[in-house]
Amino acid sequence: MNLEEQIISIIKDNIEEKYDITADTDLRNELGLDSFDTMMIINAIEDEFDITIDESDFDNIKIVLDIIQLLQGKYIIVTGVKNGINEFL
Amino acid sequence: MESTNFYKRFVVDKSIAEKLNFNPYYCRITSGIDGTVEINGKEFVDLASNNYLGLAGDERVKNAMIEAVKKYGASMCGTPIATGYVEIFKNLEDKLSEFVGLESTTIFPSCYQANCGLFLKIAGKEDLIIVDHYVHASLIEGIKTAGCKIKPFLHNNVNHLKKLLEKSTGYRQVFVVTESVFSTEGSIAPFDVIVELCTRYDALPIIDDSHGIGVIGKTGRGILEEKGIKDFQGIYTASLGKAIANTGGMISGKKEIIEYLRYSCSSLIYSTALPPAILGGIEKVIEIIESEFDSISRKIWRYKTLISERLKDCGFQLENGQAPITSIFCGSFEDTIKMAKRLYEHNILSTPFVPPSVPPNKGRVRLIAGADLKEKDIEKALEAFAAIKVRNINHRTFKVGNYYSQYQQSEY
Ligand SMILES: Cc1ncc(COP(=O)(O)O)c(C=O)c1O
Repeated sequence: MNLEEQIISIIKDNIEEKYDITADTDLRNELGLDSFDTMMIINAIEDEFDITIDESDFDNIKIVLDIIQLLQGKYIIVTGVKNGINEFL
Repeated sequence: MESTNFYKRFVVDKSIAEKLNFNPYYCRITSGIDGTVEINGKEFVDLASNNYLGLAGDERVKNAMIEAVKKYGASMCGTPIATGYVEIFKNLEDKLSEFVGLESTTIFPSCYQANCGLFLKIAGKEDLIIVDHYVHASLIEGIKTAGCKIKPFLHNNVNHLKKLLEKSTGYRQVFVVTESVFSTEGSIAPFDVIVELCTRYDALPIIDDSHGIGVIGKTGRGILEEKGIKDFQGIYTASLGKAIANTGGMISGKKEIIEYLRYSCSSLIYSTALPPAILGGIEKVIEIIESEFDSISRKIWRYKTLISERLKDCGFQLENGQAPITSIFCGSFEDTIKMAKRLYEHNILSTPFVPPSVPPNKGRVRLIAGADLKEKDIEKALEAFAAIKVRNINHRTFKVGNYYSQYQQSEY
C-alpha cells in the first residue's frame, strides 16, 4: 500500500459513513467532517505511524492530498512506511 | 467606531427561516404543557417537549411544589455548600441515589452545568478521555476543560472503542464517556458491553442518562437497569428536566467522588442551589415513577408505535431508534425546517435538528409523544402525517459529499 492508499484507508475506517474517497476529496465540504471526525483521523494516523501530530497542522487541511503532503513534508513520512518503520531510512 | 465593529460580528443567519417564512425556534407558547400547548391562540399537539411521562402538569407534582414553597419559600438564596442545602435537597440526593442504584448523589442547577463542571475536577493532562462521536454539547464542552488527550470513537461502535482502548497505555487514567439514549435519533448505547470493556482495560465509564432516566429500564430507573448493570463503578449524570419534568442535573457514583465534587466543583458550589419548589417537584415525580411506571410507560410506547407506523406508511424515512422517540430523516437544513413547518401548519409542534446538533445533511425532525397526550391528540397527529405524506416520491440519485446513494427523493 502506498501512502495515499494508506491515508484513504485510515479515513474510511474513521468516519461514520461509507464514502468514495480520492486524493482530491474535500474533507469538510464533501465528507462533512466535524472536529471530532478530524480528531479520530489524526489519532489513527498517529497510531499508524507512531508520530505525534500537532493538531493545529490540520487547520489548513482541505483535501486528502493536503494530509499526505503534510505527512511527507513536516513529518518526513514517505511512501512505503508501515507502522512507523520507514523502509527507506 | 470600535464598538460598532464589535457588534457587527454577531449576526444570526436567518435566511432559511425568512425564505420559508417560518422560524421553529423561540416560538412563544402561551400555556403550560398538557399534551397540547397554545401558540398564537391555537392549540398545538406537543410532540416537541421532553415531557416523556407527562408529569410536568400533573396535579400531584404541582401540589408538592406548592407545599415546598409554603414551607421554605421561593429560594434558599445560597449555593448548595452554603444555605442552599435545605433538608429536602439532602433527602432528594438520597432518593435519587436509591432510584438509580448508586452510592451517592449531588444535584446541580442543570445537567449542562454538571457535565461542564465534572471533567475539570476528575481529569488532567496525564489522562485520556475516549468519547462517543455524537455526545451532547455539554459533555464535549466539559471534556475540553480537562486539557487531556481526547480520542473520539465512532458512534456506538464497540469495536472501534476496543481498538482505541487496546492502544491506550501510559495514561494515569482512561475515561470512556457516552450517553444512554442519543436523543436526536433514539438509539441506545450498548453500555453493558462498554462497561465490560472498561473493566477489561481498566478504564472508568461515565454515562449521561438524561434521556434514559424515567424512560428506560423495567421500572424506569434508566440505563443501568435497562442493561442489567450491577455494582456500577463509574460516574453517572442525568438531567432532571426531561422525564423527571423539572430542572436540574444529578451526578451519582461512589461516595468519595461525590463528596469531592461537593467541595470542589465550581459549577456546583458557585451557583445558587435548585429552589425548594423544584426539589419538592422532583421528589414527587420519583414517587410517581416508583408506583406507576408500568402504566405510564405502556402509554408512551403505544404512542410511539402508532406514530412510527403511520409515518412509515406515509413514506417517511425514520431513524431506527430503540427509545420512545420517533425521528424523521429529512436531509438538508432547508428540508428539515420545511418538514417542521409542514407539521406546524397542521398544529403539530416538533423539534427540528440541524447542524451542528447533527452531522451535515443529516437533518431530522424529532417527535416525542409524552404520556400526557390524549388519544384525540394522537389521532390529530396521525391525520396530519397522512395529510402531509411524502409527495412525488421518486428514486433519484442523491449526493451527500461525493457519496452517491439511491435515496427516496421526497418533497414534503
Ligand atoms: C444528553 C444530554 N445531556 C445534558 C443535557 C442538558 O441537560 P439540562 O437541560 O438539565 O441542562 C441534555 C439536554 O438537552 C441532554 O440531552
